[in-house]
Amino acid sequence: MSFRRKLLLLFTLTVIMAVLAVAWAVSGITHRAFEQTEQERTNALVAQFHREFTRRGEDVARRVEAIADSESTSRMALDLSRQPSDAGTYVNEAAAVAKAQQLDFLEFVTAGGAIVSSAQWPAKFGYKEALVENHPPPGNAFLKREELPDGTALGLFAVRAVPSADKPLFVVGGRRLDQDFLASLELPAGTRAMLYTNSGSGFSPELLVDAAGKVPQGEKLEPLVQRVQDTGAEQNQVISWSSDPADSENVDAIPLKSEQGDLLGLLLVGNSRRDLVAVEKRIRSTALLVAGLGALLAILVSSWIAARVTRPVEQLAAASREVAAGNWSTQLQVESGDELGEMAEAFNRMTRELTDQRERLVQAERVAAWRELARRLAHELKNPLFPLQITVENLLKSRQHGGEQFDEVFRESTGTLLAEIANLKTIISRFSEFSKMPQPRLREMDINDLVRDVLLTHQAQLQAEGRPPIVARTELEDSLEQISADPDLLRRALANLVLNAIDAMPKGGTLTLRTRDAGPNVCIEVADTGSGMTKEECERLFTPYYTTKEYGTGLGLAFVQSVISDHHGRISVRSSPGRGSTFVIELPRHQEGTAQLSASSG
Amino acid sequence: MKRTTWPSLVIGSVLALLTATAGAVRPHYGGTVRVMVREAPASVEPATLAAWQNDHISTLIFEGLTGFDSRSHLQPKLATRWQSDSQYRHWQFWLRSGVTFQDGSPLTPDALAAALRSANSQWQVSVAADSVIIETDNPTPNMPAVLALPENAISNHTGGKLSGTGPFQVAAWQPGKRLVLSAFEGYWGGRPFADSLEITMGQAWRQQLIALELGRADVVEVAPQQVRRATLDGKRIFTSAPNQLVAVVFARDPQSEEERHVRQSLSAIIDRAAIRNVLLQGQGEVAQTVLPNWMSGYAFLFTTPTSSPQPTVPLSAPTLTLSYDPSDPTMQLIAQRVALNGRDAGVNLQPLAAPASTDARLVTITLPSPNPQTALAAVARAAGLAPQQFQGSSPEELYAQEQQLLQSGRIIPLIHVPQAVAIAPNLNSWQEGLFGNWDLADVWLGGAKP
Repeated sequence: MSFRRKLLLLFTLTVIMAVLAVAWAVSGITHRAFEQTEQERTNALVAQFHREFTRRGEDVARRVEAIADSESTSRMALDLSRQPSDAGTYVNEAAAVAKAQQLDFLEFVTAGGAIVSSAQWPAKFGYKEALVENHPPPGNAFLKREELPDGTALGLFAVRAVPSADKPLFVVGGRRLDQDFLASLELPAGTRAMLYTNSGSGFSPELLVDAAGKVPQGEKLEPLVQRVQDTGAEQNQVISWSSDPADSENVDAIPLKSEQGDLLGLLLVGNSRRDLVAVEKRIRSTALLVAGLGALLAILVSSWIAARVTRPVEQLAAASREVAAGNWSTQLQVESGDELGEMAEAFNRMTRELTDQRERLVQAERVAAWRELARRLAHELKNPLFPLQITVENLLKSRQHGGEQFDEVFRESTGTLLAEIANLKTIISRFSEFSKMPQPRLREMDINDLVRDVLLTHQAQLQAEGRPPIVARTELEDSLEQISADPDLLRRALANLVLNAIDAMPKGGTLTLRTRDAGPNVCIEVADTGSGMTKEECERLFTPYYTTKEYGTGLGLAFVQSVISDHHGRISVRSSPGRGSTFVIELPRHQEGTAQLSASSG
Repeated sequence: MKRTTWPSLVIGSVLALLTATAGAVRPHYGGTVRVMVREAPASVEPATLAAWQNDHISTLIFEGLTGFDSRSHLQPKLATRWQSDSQYRHWQFWLRSGVTFQDGSPLTPDALAAALRSANSQWQVSVAADSVIIETDNPTPNMPAVLALPENAISNHTGGKLSGTGPFQVAAWQPGKRLVLSAFEGYWGGRPFADSLEITMGQAWRQQLIALELGRADVVEVAPQQVRRATLDGKRIFTSAPNQLVAVVFARDPQSEEERHVRQSLSAIIDRAAIRNVLLQGQGEVAQTVLPNWMSGYAFLFTTPTSSPQPTVPLSAPTLTLSYDPSDPTMQLIAQRVALNGRDAGVNLQPLAAPASTDARLVTITLPSPNPQTALAAVARAAGLAPQQFQGSSPEELYAQEQQLLQSGRIIPLIHVPQAVAIAPNLNSWQEGLFGNWDLADVWLGGAKP
């Protein structure tokens, strides 16, 4: 990744994180504000329910009072106070009066607590009403759990006494808190009321109703109901009815208690969060849009800033690449006086220094090469010159002594002189040959055939008498395609490597020739099991006139490297002392101009 | 004015007064008596009458060999006399002569025997001259009373038309809704006074009283709990002896001692007096027995156990379901009261309006006959038990049989309830039958409608 991209990414991330942090903070603050508003709304609703309860309780009390004040009730009280009295005649009285007064519950109860008539459970006459029997009846309306033939129900009750001659008759009336009661409540849109009739500990969804009847998925309210059952105090919880957040309610559970403090039921006020979620969703969408636009703007600005900041650096990088490519005279334009300007100035100084040093180095290397060449020439020429000198001196001595031995010495000396002169010519031809390295003539060739041919040519050297045998192995990849190369030059280069390997294994060993496919290249490996080389030897191995052999010229591997370079290939060596050496040649499959050369050669 | 004029005027006035007085008390022929009943039977055939509790109508069309009079004494009807062997297995009944069916065909021993065979497949019925012989495998000491039951009434299906020998014949019949009977001119006991009876069925008690009040009915049934109010309102109410049994009937025998104990506890805890005094407004009698005391004479021997408010049944006792007739509000209240009382004893009873299979039913069993043996057998059948076999007609045997029925645990008697009827002011000669019989053949309409 480029420096500009890194810088751009850094800037963008920084800006986006900042925008997101702001969006998150705004969203959170907004959410809390909405929650608070929602809670206040719920509290207002709860307060409204309390007022409604009080109002309905007063209404029940008024109706019960009206019954107690009626003439028929007074007559009943008077009749029942007589001895003997027949309470049986009034068994159906409560039902009729309750219907007239629109009460769900109504009982006429004697001062002793015996039910004379019950509207809600007519068969309960004669049974005791604990409310009147055990306690002085409360004056105001109150909550009470009423037993019915088919279960229990909650009701808002009021009790009034009807005075008579002896003991009063009590009128206990009430209205049922059920789904009809819930349906009669005037609720704001998005709000609903539910009623749970407490039947002791635990939770039963069957006892939970709203205005429409049994509450679907009522079990989801179980934790809230149980918390109220445990604490006896008002509790609140957000209930999710589905995976859609909009389908949730903020439910406030209000305990409904009897006069004695027993938990009789719970009024659950559900406030839909649909509007809240929708507003939050809109705010979130807007925040995301603003954040997105901010991020986009941040990217554009960051891009511009990054371009401004990185342009000198990129120029420096380009100049460096130029220098790496060999153009050491590259110079940068210094446009500012800041650190980047100083860096450009330093770069320019560096390239100038490099250029000067290279020129000095080239000069020094040239001198060294001449010296080395002179040394090698002197060495190479000195060896044959010494026998020549001795032979000529012997010939002169023999001529001075004369006699019969001169002819014999002459013959021997001329032989030696000719041999040494031939040797000198050979040395001179080698140098001449190296200086006149021919250009490769490329054509399509099979590299495996070349390897087999070279190995066959040197089979005699491998099995030469008087030295330990060398085993030759080939590991050739049959599927190799033909490559573009000069077969003659490659054969000579490969032969050089094979001869070097043979020389490296005076005690015998294994010579392995290997070919393999290496993507766009073809690899040829020549491996021996000889004594190997040190790292330093490996580094200097391809330097001209450098040799590790006693009688080498140091031109063999230089020749090999030159041939491989002319084929746009690469040669390398892997070696370590005692483990043999492996020369690896990598040649491209195709050379530029192969077709033309092939055509011209053909 | 001549001296002879005054005596003539006096004599004429006296004669006119006598004529007017005689006209007020002398029965009138003609008119239609309008009757309303609660039940709505789908058929009037004698074979189906066992399921029809109100047999007041069927006896107007069909008659048996015997019958009960208004004082519940057994009387000859189509048979004039009878006799049996000492084992009560062989019975011979001599037929009344000159009796014809409403379709005009004569009542012959063969027709009568065929009708009896059709109704009682276990009997061997044969004809001997002007009598029929009935032979049974088991002793049947109450055979004359059995033959007075509505299901043993004699009918004739000649030509696809149903006819009997009673004082009225079917003129129009809409099953479950309306039955019109016309007077049978050839009735052996003499033509009834009314020309016809118009019986409207399926009418609730309250509707019937309103209809009577509005003059749209002449004879209506009155619920026991309405008797007091109707009497106070000045209506003409006739009440029978308690001949209906309100009882809890269990669907099966108790399967364990614990279940038997539950039923005994329930029977002991039920406040029958409260049901009678309040729900039935003082009508009827508290029942500890199947048969009322007026019928058996020994019901007082069964003492009322003292009810205990403490639970006597383990809490693990399962909930029992108790069904009742939802069309009768009083039965619903009684069921709720029984459940309420049962709860005091730890018995969980759940009243259900549906007549589906439940553990127990709250039923009203109409005792079909004043004969105690016949009535006890009918109650046993209603409780799903095999009817008792009597060897004789001694009170001891009856007592033992009833005690055995009560100890079976299948039935808990609650109240013996009378049947009551209210009649229009212009309906005359209503005979107040002990067993609630409606002798509509002898009533007649007099004066203007109220």
